[in-house]
Amino acid sequence: FAGLADVSISEDIPVEGEITVPVGSHSPDEDYSTLDEPVRDTIMRDLKAVGKKFVHVMYPKKSSALLRDWDLWGPLVLCVSLALMLQGGSADSKEDGGPQFAEVFVIIWFGAVVITLNSKLLGGTISFFQSLCVLGYCVLPLTVAMLVCRLVLLAGSGTVSFIVRLIVVIAMFGWSTLASTAFLADSQPPNRKALVVYPIFLFYFVISWMILTFTPQ
Amino acid sequence: RHPLATFFHLFFRVSAIITYLFCDWFSNSFVACFVTILLLLSFDFWSVKNVTGRLLVGLRWWNQIDEDGKSHWVFEAKRVSTIAASTEAEARIFWLGLIICPVIWTVFFFSTLFSLKLKWLALVIAGISLQTANLYGYIHCKLGGQKSISRITSRFFVTGDVPK
Repeated sequence: FAGLADVSISEDIPVEGEITVPVGSHSPDEDYSTLDEPVRDTIMRDLKAVGKKFVHVMYPKKSSALLRDWDLWGPLVLCVSLALMLQGGSADSKEDGGPQFAEVFVIIWFGAVVITLNSKLLGGTISFFQSLCVLGYCVLPLTVAMLVCRLVLLAGSGTVSFIVRLIVVIAMFGWSTLASTAFLADSQPPNRKALVVYPIFLFYFVISWMILTFTPQ
Repeated sequence: RHPLATFFHLFFRVSAIITYLFCDWFSNSFVACFVTILLLLSFDFWSVKNVTGRLLVGLRWWNQIDEDGKSHWVFEAKRVSTIAASTEAEARIFWLGLIICPVIWTVFFFSTLFSLKLKWLALVIAGISLQTANLYGYIHCKLGGQKSISRITSRFFVTGDVPK
């Protein structure tokens, strides 16, 4: 082993280099700093995220922003406003023509949970809360339809108003279903897409039915 | 050190409970009470999760989705070297508020179920889930924080003992 005798490492050769730790989009250091941010920043950040999602629903492009940072504020606001508008004036009177407030609430949230469970059981890759988020935000066109229907009903409740309301509700129902399918069907294998789309179709159909058959007293 | 945060931590939870108990005095309308309590519960959930947790006890938890769509829950604890007396009082108020309110809502759940006032059941279930979610998240943070602190200190001692 004569050649190995010369192998020696001098002690005063400095070893230098660079160690870089690959960081993902949410590195721990970046998030530790949000532990100390002022409260106003937190509020504004969350409000902006909610606003961006509302815009995304109205113009459904295939973007993952709606899916990545889910939040349930939008669905809550939409659900409450829809349930309020379906209430029809005096809340506790026995003659109001719309379903009870709590029923609308339960239908929307329970329906969304069932659809989510269905898509997860079919092998979807989307997470539980992401799916709830998308389904909730896509109720926005139907809430707009409800608003329009109530305004039309203020003008009158004859055949013309019914036709106008029918057209508006059908258009918004189509918009809701297309928007939510654009986001949700991608996470499914291709031969299961119809199985996932059908409950979504049914869910928005039930809500549209409630909106269309609403008659104020 | 954070009197405003302590106040708000308790304010939303206690207002929700008081409104639920005395809603008949405030208003005749079921809808107004329902919406008010729901909004109070939601504000409470958001403020406890995002603000009072990190201000009063230095803990935070959230959900994160990666690029490949997998979701995981992150629990984060601030490493505090010294614990002042005022922060201990605040921490105690934080944990008491966090634990007692879900228990009260569970009591409401059973009372609503047995008195058959089922229209309130949806609200009570929402209240229980929101408050229990925060409780669970923060307990997980606390336990996770202690585990990671002990891991880090043991690693420090091990590397210190390696001979040169």
